[in-house]
Amino acid sequence: MSQKTMKSLRIVWRITLLNIRASMEYRTEFLLMIAIGAIWQVSVIVFATVLLARFTGMGGWDSSDVLLIPAIRMLAHGLFVLLLGRMHFIGRQIQEGKIDVYLLRPMPVHRQVQLAFFPTNAIGDLLVAAGLMVGALSRSDLDWTTGRVSYLVAAIIGGMLLEAALFTVVASACLRFPAADYWSRWLEELLGTFGSYPLNVLPRAVGGFLTYALPLAFVAYLPTAVLTGHDQDIGVPYWLAAASPLLGIAGYLAARLVWRWSLKHYTGVNG
Amino acid sequence: MAAVLHGWRAARVTPLGELHTPPRMTAVLLRLTVQVVLVASLWRGLYANTGTTAGLGRDQAVTYAVLAVLASRLRELDQSAGRDMVLQHMHFGTIVYWYLRPLPPQRYYALRALGEQLYGLVWALGGYVVCLAAGVVEPPESAAVAGVFVVSMLLGQWVLYYVMLVLDQLCFFTIRNNSAMLILIFAQNLLSGVYAPLWFFPDWFITLSGFLPFQATLSVPLSIYVGRIELSDAGVQLAVQAAWVVVLALFTRWVWRRAARRVISQGG
Repeated sequence: MSQKTMKSLRIVWRITLLNIRASMEYRTEFLLMIAIGAIWQVSVIVFATVLLARFTGMGGWDSSDVLLIPAIRMLAHGLFVLLLGRMHFIGRQIQEGKIDVYLLRPMPVHRQVQLAFFPTNAIGDLLVAAGLMVGALSRSDLDWTTGRVSYLVAAIIGGMLLEAALFTVVASACLRFPAADYWSRWLEELLGTFGSYPLNVLPRAVGGFLTYALPLAFVAYLPTAVLTGHDQDIGVPYWLAAASPLLGIAGYLAARLVWRWSLKHYTGVNG
Repeated sequence: MAAVLHGWRAARVTPLGELHTPPRMTAVLLRLTVQVVLVASLWRGLYANTGTTAGLGRDQAVTYAVLAVLASRLRELDQSAGRDMVLQHMHFGTIVYWYLRPLPPQRYYALRALGEQLYGLVWALGGYVVCLAAGVVEPPESAAVAGVFVVSMLLGQWVLYYVMLVLDQLCFFTIRNNSAMLILIFAQNLLSGVYAPLWFFPDWFITLSGFLPFQATLSVPLSIYVGRIELSDAGVQLAVQAAWVVVLALFTRWVWRRAARRVISQGG
């Protein structure tokens, strides 16, 4: 690792520690933020459990297989919130003119956006997500070979990157049209509502929309289909479903290019 | 006459912000359309191999879910873009201006909410007519059901207004309260049946929500509409909604007085 990279990592680490100390200044708020992360994730579990209890055999899948979908999605989401989630709050930073300040500092704007504050709620997110993953794995009848475990890890990272890619594209749009911030809330709602179930319960056209127009299916549903051997009726060729983690990487790299292009065309409130 | 003019001007604050940003309105239209299609598809898909469950049949569940999406438009206007949220005013210290105007803050708040809800009602009604014509939602079983539903929805929106007011009033008493706000908004959505009809939840959950005001905002009117609450039981539910209106009105009135004493700006 080059000296420059090491220096950058050191700065990132020191700013993160400062952000953690700053957020702990208000202890109650700090604890409540952890709680909100946990509660938000629990809502997904509650909804999933309620549906699984009332509608058994959802989409022709066993309950234990279905449970893996929210487990992967929530763990990917928790990691996204922890590492790249500040993209979600770009609208406020633009409104307050912070991007203009970032542009003057000797650090990439994207990194400064990510280091704006410490996402305390990610702790709660990850705690609940890890708990659900343990529960889903313990209920699973699958043979967890090294290959399958490696694919699970790749799927979680790919899911995180894909979610980051989607929010980065919306954030890029916000740089030009601040009102686009509205879409990020909708995106989060969509991911929470439709990202945790087998999409084959939906009509083919709707499933297609959530696969090709808004690639939500690649976050957790398709990787889970690959892990659990559901290669029929998933709406995409099996090889494409298997390539979900790679699509996450490709999607994120493409989104960063869009971000870079949008930043070049950014004009602050003062023109 | 001047009071009416003041009222009209306050009521149209947030809707005007929306009407002056056509991209946001386009986004609302698109979001609402997609959300309705997705929600209707999800519930139809879930019911594909199931009959009646939790006392709700397929059409009832789809109607409930779609109406919940439409009802969410009633109070979903974006105040943050215009920096007119109480949270933002407390953050920037501009809350003090609410107390310097010739219009009392509580009246400004109420008029602004009324304007937002009327504007949202136009969206919700438009969506309802389209969904009804497209056969996505079922019409109410009878004129009596429709009438009781309208009364219940009105009371529900009234309760919702007070619930949102309590959330905003919290901002006066805490320095940092983003998370508390998020938790309460989440509780409101979960316990009012926005995420899923409360009837699908375990009995203990339904009992618990019965002691809280949230289910009065949405679950009760929608359950009356789809026939999950019979007309014979609706009287009790309407009385409970009305009781929540009275309790919350008294409580928020008391909090407004306490809140006014805490307003400081620029160092006091």
